[in-house]
Amino acid sequence: MVDRPQRVSLLKAEIRHRLSSSFVLDCKFEIHAGFSVLFGASGAGKTSILDCIAGIKRPESGRIEVDEVVCFDSAKKIDLPPSARRMAYVFQDLALFPHLSVLENVIYGLDHLRKETRQEVGHAVLARFGSGHLVQRSTRDLSGGERQRVALARSLVTNPRALLLDEPLAALDRATRLKMIDALQSWNEEHAIPILYVTHSVREALALGQRVLVVEAGQVIAQGTPAEVLDRESWE
Amino acid sequence: MNWQAILLTVRLATTVCALLLVIALPLAYWISFFNRRWRFLVEAVIALPLVLPPTVLGYYMLVAFSPHSFLGRLADSLFSVRLAFSFPGLVLASVIYSLPFAVQPVANAFSAVDSRLLHAAAVLGASRWRCFRTIILPLSKAGILTGAVLTFAHTVGEFGVVLMVGGNIQGATQTISIAIYDDVQALNYASAARTSALLLLFSFVALAVVYALNRRSSILWSTARSA
Repeated sequence: MVDRPQRVSLLKAEIRHRLSSSFVLDCKFEIHAGFSVLFGASGAGKTSILDCIAGIKRPESGRIEVDEVVCFDSAKKIDLPPSARRMAYVFQDLALFPHLSVLENVIYGLDHLRKETRQEVGHAVLARFGSGHLVQRSTRDLSGGERQRVALARSLVTNPRALLLDEPLAALDRATRLKMIDALQSWNEEHAIPILYVTHSVREALALGQRVLVVEAGQVIAQGTPAEVLDRESWE
Repeated sequence: MNWQAILLTVRLATTVCALLLVIALPLAYWISFFNRRWRFLVEAVIALPLVLPPTVLGYYMLVAFSPHSFLGRLADSLFSVRLAFSFPGLVLASVIYSLPFAVQPVANAFSAVDSRLLHAAAVLGASRWRCFRTIILPLSKAGILTGAVLTFAHTVGEFGVVLMVGGNIQGATQTISIAIYDDVQALNYASAARTSALLLLFSFVALAVVYALNRRSSILWSTARSA
């Protein structure tokens, strides 16, 4: 991983996008460096918001800016492709490349570096996420927890401007999940980037979020600290 | 056995196979990932040789390849090549009638690649070309091989179009299937039987390879998806 200077990172998103005749994403929010939780029931539009920020879906209108780089601006007709946005995205189904080894997956985003440097960086990030022993394994032979760790390592190795996590820890047992959260938090103490973490679990939202954004029917209906916006009983 | 016809058929099928791979990859990519609105029209045009009687297709090609047609004159002025009743004409005709056999398996394989993998590659900074080279192509290997085997086998076995466009000129346009027809016409059943047995064996091996490839790739995908 390349050292990045310490500075205040900010992700600003204003998204309007019709997903179907009866469902419109219409939200506006800002998140600072650290964990922010995008919380809502299944089908609320959380994944579509991440897809718009990453550049996979193109909103009909709005503006997306990270680290003072405008990734999308419908008014100014700016629409950077996903490859130019430098966002890290861990998909719900992880999307590991099935024909590549663990190391090849992790260094996929480092094509601009020399081969030796790629390998070194790949080994280092895998070791950091407790996966150093998996280097030469095929991704098809990994357990659920191992796959999650490899997907995280693959996304973080690119030194991203922001990290988008779509329920990446949902399939893990509690102990592994806590370990992963620790590893992520310690990684972000060094890198200080905005992390948008999607979940529909109140427990996860309470454990993780310095800030929670509640999404309902494509709109952010509340923002604040977990204690302010999450009514434990009504969500459980 | 008519070795001249066998060698000419192998030369024809190899040339057509190589040309069709070059044509089918970008065409299948376009069909799989671009322009959904007009895709059905392009697919219908590509699939035409599957439903048209070979004689109809052969007739249109013969007219198009005539020295007085636009295509015939173009080939003559650019490459000094006569298309009707010649090996280059046979290659061009075979490329057209084998097109669906190459494009459809490759397009199916491209479409079967999980779009999330392509999104993941793009988010990791990969250009469209790198996505194609490092994700789509390796994951479509079985489909590409299937297309190549089907193209080769179909070109080896074609009769109607070859007869219409190439005629029956020994060493120039006489392929195996036409040699068998010639043998039967000349009541040379022993030679026809030997060549037919060879073609039967070849067709069986080609189909076995196709089914084995598809079985392997579906196992690979189901393992990847269930993991």
